[in-house]
Amino acid sequence: MQTTTAMGDALGRYLDLTSQQMQVTARNMANVDTPGFKTQGFDFEGVFAQQLNDGAGAAGLEGMQAPMQDVDGLVARPDGNNVSMDREGLQLAKAQMQFKLGTQLLKSEFSTVMSAIHMDSK
Amino acid sequence: MNIFGVMDVSGSALKAERVRAEVVASNMANAETTRTPDGGPYQRHHVVFEAQNGGTFQESMANQLGGGSSVGAGNGFKNIYTGGISGGLSGDLTAANPTPGGVEVTGVIADASKPLQRYDPSHPDAGPDGFVAYPDINPLTEMVDLMGATRSYGMNASAITAEKSIFNSSLDLLK
Repeated sequence: MQTTTAMGDALGRYLDLTSQQMQVTARNMANVDTPGFKTQGFDFEGVFAQQLNDGAGAAGLEGMQAPMQDVDGLVARPDGNNVSMDREGLQLAKAQMQFKLGTQLLKSEFSTVMSAIHMDSK
Repeated sequence: MNIFGVMDVSGSALKAERVRAEVVASNMANAETTRTPDGGPYQRHHVVFEAQNGGTFQESMANQLGGGSSVGAGNGFKNIYTGGISGGLSGDLTAANPTPGGVEVTGVIADASKPLQRYDPSHPDAGPDGFVAYPDINPLTEMVDLMGATRSYGMNASAITAEKSIFNSSLDLLK
């Protein structure tokens, strides 16, 4: 019997990508004083859309590393570092909110299954 | 604009106000600078802020409603979902594309005011008449500008906090 839903799978990928977003933001913040460090990031929506299209449950969530690239258009300081603390703080806040959203949706998804399981006892 | 779009607007303001504070700091640091690479004394710098056309809430709402309140295809609230699922970190991957509705620093310009002439014949940069050209920087003006930048930064940070609590309230609807 199948209890995993397409929604649950998509949310799993969403949460996975969000935690990767948090990791990359934390790395940028950690390197705020590293000379020559360039801000890293990835195209969240592009990667997410690609993962949704590659067939449900193809490789699972393992090995789904989003490709990192340098973020351009940021102002570089004289030491070659272009990390903006405002941008990273905002990214972190957003990632936290996304994680909350994903977990809440997943919770409601599971509670649907649970209510089906407890159907006879009600 | 997605659910996180409002935060991008406040975020662009945070960036801009930080640049403004940096420029004020640079002005105060160079209040007595008589030599620059371009020659002559330091010139006071200003930041230029430019609004990114994103329209007001009213305009966005009117656009979303498409002049009618039907929820049919084409116009109505369906427009919100054009472009598929967007719960991501919006188009902020490159800072090059400006945030609609936000603010951007379009440039830092030098003030064209005349330098102050002070008599100090022993100064190495003194002219033949014994006068030295100093930058026309008033610490009061700079401090007021710095306070403005600080307050605006705080205000926008509070706006982000408010946006977060709004988001959390909308999550409570799921419970």
